[in-house]
Amino acid sequence: MTDTVLASEPIFSTSTRPESLTELIWRRFRRHRLALLAAILLLLMVTLVLAAPLSRYSPTDQNPRNDFAPPSAEHWFGTDELGRDVFTRILYGGRISLAVGIFSTLFSLAIGIVIGALSGYYGGWIDNILMRITDTFLILPVVFVLILFSALLREMPALAEFRNSVWLVIVAISVFAWMLPARLARGLFLVLREKEFVSASRALGASDARLIFLRILPNSIGPLLVTATLEMAYAIITESGLSYLGFGIQPPTPSWGNILESAQIHVYRAPWLAIFPGLMIFITVMAINFIGDGLRDAFDPYVIHTEK
Amino acid sequence: MKLKVLTLFILLGLMVGACGQVPVASDPAESGGGTVVLVIPEEPAGLNRYLADAAIVYQVSDASVIGLTTPNEKGEYTPRLAAELPTVSEDQRTVTWKLREGLLWSDGEPMTSDDIKFTWEAVSNPNSGAFNQTAGFELIEDIETPDDLTAIVHYSEPYVGYLGQFSAALLPRHATGNPEEMTTWDYNMNPVVGGPFVVTDWRSGESITMERNENYYEEGKPYLDRLVFRIIPEAASQTALMKQGEAHVHLWPGEDKVDYDAIMEGTAAQQLVPGIWNMAIDFNLSRPGDDDPSASEPHPILGDLRVRQAISHAIDYDTLINDVMNGQVQPSTSPFAYGWYQCDVPRLYNFDVEKASQLLTEAGWVEGPDGIRVAEGALYAEDGTRLSLELQGYTAFEPLERTEQFIVENLKAVGIEANIQNYDFSIIFGSFADGAPAKLGDFDMLIYDRGYYLEPHGDVVDSYHSASIPSADNPDGDNSFRWVNPEADAAIEAAGSTFDQAERREAYCELARLIQEDAVQNYIYLFQDGYGFSSNLEGYTVSTWGSMTWDVQNWKYKG
Amino acid sequence: MTTYILRRALQALPILFLLSVFLFGVVRLMPGGPLAQAERNPNVSPEQLAALRVRLGLDQPLPIQYVKWIKAFVLEGDWGYSIKFRRPVAEMIWERVPATLILFGAGFIVMLLFAIPIGVYSAIKPYSFFDNLITTFSFAGQSVPVYWMGLVLIVIFYLNVQLFPAGGMYTIGREGEVLDLLWHLVLPITAMSFSWIAWYSRFLRSSMRDTLNEDYIRTARAKGLSARMVHFRHALRNALLPLVTLIALDLPTVFGGAVFIEAIFAWPGMGRLFWDAAKGRDYPILLAVMMIYAALTLLFNLIADIVYGFLDPRIRYD
Repeated sequence: MTDTVLASEPIFSTSTRPESLTELIWRRFRRHRLALLAAILLLLMVTLVLAAPLSRYSPTDQNPRNDFAPPSAEHWFGTDELGRDVFTRILYGGRISLAVGIFSTLFSLAIGIVIGALSGYYGGWIDNILMRITDTFLILPVVFVLILFSALLREMPALAEFRNSVWLVIVAISVFAWMLPARLARGLFLVLREKEFVSASRALGASDARLIFLRILPNSIGPLLVTATLEMAYAIITESGLSYLGFGIQPPTPSWGNILESAQIHVYRAPWLAIFPGLMIFITVMAINFIGDGLRDAFDPYVIHTEK
Repeated sequence: MKLKVLTLFILLGLMVGACGQVPVASDPAESGGGTVVLVIPEEPAGLNRYLADAAIVYQVSDASVIGLTTPNEKGEYTPRLAAELPTVSEDQRTVTWKLREGLLWSDGEPMTSDDIKFTWEAVSNPNSGAFNQTAGFELIEDIETPDDLTAIVHYSEPYVGYLGQFSAALLPRHATGNPEEMTTWDYNMNPVVGGPFVVTDWRSGESITMERNENYYEEGKPYLDRLVFRIIPEAASQTALMKQGEAHVHLWPGEDKVDYDAIMEGTAAQQLVPGIWNMAIDFNLSRPGDDDPSASEPHPILGDLRVRQAISHAIDYDTLINDVMNGQVQPSTSPFAYGWYQCDVPRLYNFDVEKASQLLTEAGWVEGPDGIRVAEGALYAEDGTRLSLELQGYTAFEPLERTEQFIVENLKAVGIEANIQNYDFSIIFGSFADGAPAKLGDFDMLIYDRGYYLEPHGDVVDSYHSASIPSADNPDGDNSFRWVNPEADAAIEAAGSTFDQAERREAYCELARLIQEDAVQNYIYLFQDGYGFSSNLEGYTVSTWGSMTWDVQNWKYKG
Repeated sequence: MTTYILRRALQALPILFLLSVFLFGVVRLMPGGPLAQAERNPNVSPEQLAALRVRLGLDQPLPIQYVKWIKAFVLEGDWGYSIKFRRPVAEMIWERVPATLILFGAGFIVMLLFAIPIGVYSAIKPYSFFDNLITTFSFAGQSVPVYWMGLVLIVIFYLNVQLFPAGGMYTIGREGEVLDLLWHLVLPITAMSFSWIAWYSRFLRSSMRDTLNEDYIRTARAKGLSARMVHFRHALRNALLPLVTLIALDLPTVFGGAVFIEAIFAWPGMGRLFWDAAKGRDYPILLAVMMIYAALTLLFNLIADIVYGFLDPRIRYD
């Protein structure tokens, strides 16, 4: 296992001062120029969507007499079928799409880590049961189940208050995305719990929870971070796909997915309506993927070897 | 190795590419014949009209399955397989039909009055599962067939829709089966018919092919040789096929006519005809979410007539119709916006922002800090209640979404907050048992399109009569507004007590007036049905009362 | 070996049971009925609707419906009747199997034909210009929503260049011709395999690099085998092992992606059958399609495990 080496890896350093792991990772991440560029791009994207209220248009202000205006100095990305400014809508949609990406990742990782940690740390019948459940989820045809599950959540009378809420989509995506992190976490815990520093802590009387969250988890951060990037890319793409099939975030809340979905029908009349949200998804997800790649290399022990 | 694989693929790609060129419109034969390709967005669940669960069935079956009469573009029944319109007895309980002479089914068997009798037997069989266009069959006591061409239908009571009784389809006794097994008849996907085309190939999820029916009764018709219905779910792909001339008829194009015609650049054009789908907002007069489905406890906000009037005043109808919907729709002010029962009642509460604001202020709703009004001495709402309402429609229908979003902005301008809450189609039109919000009375404002066919009375009673308020005991009622108005009940009953169309229309108009006055429902616009037709085709007429293929026997390629 | 296979198969049973309960629950707890279209139809009376409901068994309690369904599904092979089409679900699915198999089969062949050589090259020459190019392409592939890609392909290759058809399996009148089929496959396969080529070549690259660093490769080198032989005989073979498992694991995602491909390119496969059924709440179809896909995935995972065992001498069955 590549990740096991990490914890016991001696830290190589080129300076006289011993370099911390964080510094080492950062230095090595920076060397992946595409990843660095991607990180800057993503940061820029986040800044941009956070700055959405600075736009001189509102995402809902309509001007039906100026519908389908092509991109211009006035409207950078043109206007849509109701004469709304597409650029502004894409910024607001980006908030939703990025939120879906970030929170789905957090939730699915959280579920996955808890399940994987319990499984790997305790083993035995707990492991057995949890892994059977994980296996069951792993063979579910995800898109199919998501279509039904998101419809189910949306139409449940008990959840009526959240019907149009982004959280429904986030929950739906997370519920079917925790399995790989769970397996990964289980693998890491299986190995790490045998490590000396863990048994040492245990001997000193540390509780299980303390061991899991304060000792083992921080040492699994590398592979988990890489998984997080995969999860985030997956969540953003999945949200847009669900919206395309009509089961995602519902208008009028804009998301990149549903802006794209309502643009499909006008793709010949106003191609920019489909091009820009598609590009935004593309650029964002690509940036996330590159960051993931950079992180993978940065945490990869073999690269540490070959570098020397 | 990799390079070899790549080269192989490129070569393969070139070979494959060379062997096929994108086909342009099939060659029209000199006779005006040839193959016409029609794009449809979804697959019909069979062509048996009595089992038709969705409009798509009509759109396809009309090319093949026909009955004794068909409503023409004016909504008048004209004879099809019948030689002429039927004669009616004094007491209006006996209707005599005559078939055309020498009619043959598409399989060559003679068509006789016994098939009329069989149609009644099959459809009225309680175990047949037939549910569409079955009205009136239960009133038939017997059908006599004195000869092969004559069928004498005896009704237990006069039936107003007798002209359309056999308009949906005539079922062949020899080529169907046991009525009890109607839902699994082979007929459903491969019907023996009297119409212009016959199904020859049905590829699930892909296409339905029909060939000319050589036994069709009109001499020389149909002109075309073959119809291919291609099932293409994605709107952009449908438009692409039309633009390339690979398809000739386009059912319900997503683009508005103005844009559609511009995209097609002369290859095709969209034909519009007023449809039956009428867009309106329903107001809930009763408190939502309580267990009491009646109107005994008024809606805290909408219970006040002035608020409903203000909402009606706040909508900019002209901009909505001309600019948001790009003229794809027609103004509508009542449920009776077309057909013989059409009532052109003027809009009572027209677009007037000042009037709307004034009404709201009068009703005790004053502007709050964020521009949304709050209650201060309102009729039913506690002080401090925010003027916030849910606007519920159904999902995945772009024109509705556009309309909703425009209305939300209109309402915001007068200080009303409306939140769009779209449900799945199957919820909005679900049953009481399914928990449909309209049935349970669990909504503020519903917005969707609804329609009547040639005989509206049953639906009118269900929607507006005070006895039709839905509840566990009366789950089929559709008076979702919980509207109780004795004058309206009287008008509805008046319309139901006579066959005279002029009198009935009068009564319906009175009802339309009351609906406006009480502002229980605010009609906005009437959809026009859009069909894209290739410029190579001629001879077609679009009709409110028929599907895109209702007159397919008249279609021709231009010479 | 036989006991191992048997044991794995037995382990799959509780998973299948959990799955069937879960899927039935999700499908049937979904509010909204399959009769909505009929409810809205002005030509259908309320009495007829009530009769229809009883006829379809929709008026019975859920657990009873579940037991009836699972008994018929597993023991009698009866997958029920489609509510909308009133046809046997098994028959309807069977009609869609060829289209789906062709799409997946051709898709996987193209994927592997591209992914393996690309992955091998990238692993041998990491950080070379070609590797960086492929990396970039592969991330691009994973970052595009499939349906957007499909739309772009149609606009370019059907509307602008007019090289490939926009959808369907065959040209009208040429049904059944292999060349016509291949020609119709080009765009869907391109849209479908783009992201997967990227994914598998990346995976192969990293797992080959892992292998290349392992001891026995060094031993092989020391034994004097040529570098080329080392790469191909040992590294590739060992790197392909995890690939088999990965593909089996990815099946659900591939099945899901096909929904989009089939929708955009009007491909008459099972994914579209499912999507249409989801819109119409056609429970028997929804359940059957998901059960089949899940069972297929389970089966392939089992096969992958067994193949893994065959190919990797280090794994023993006890």
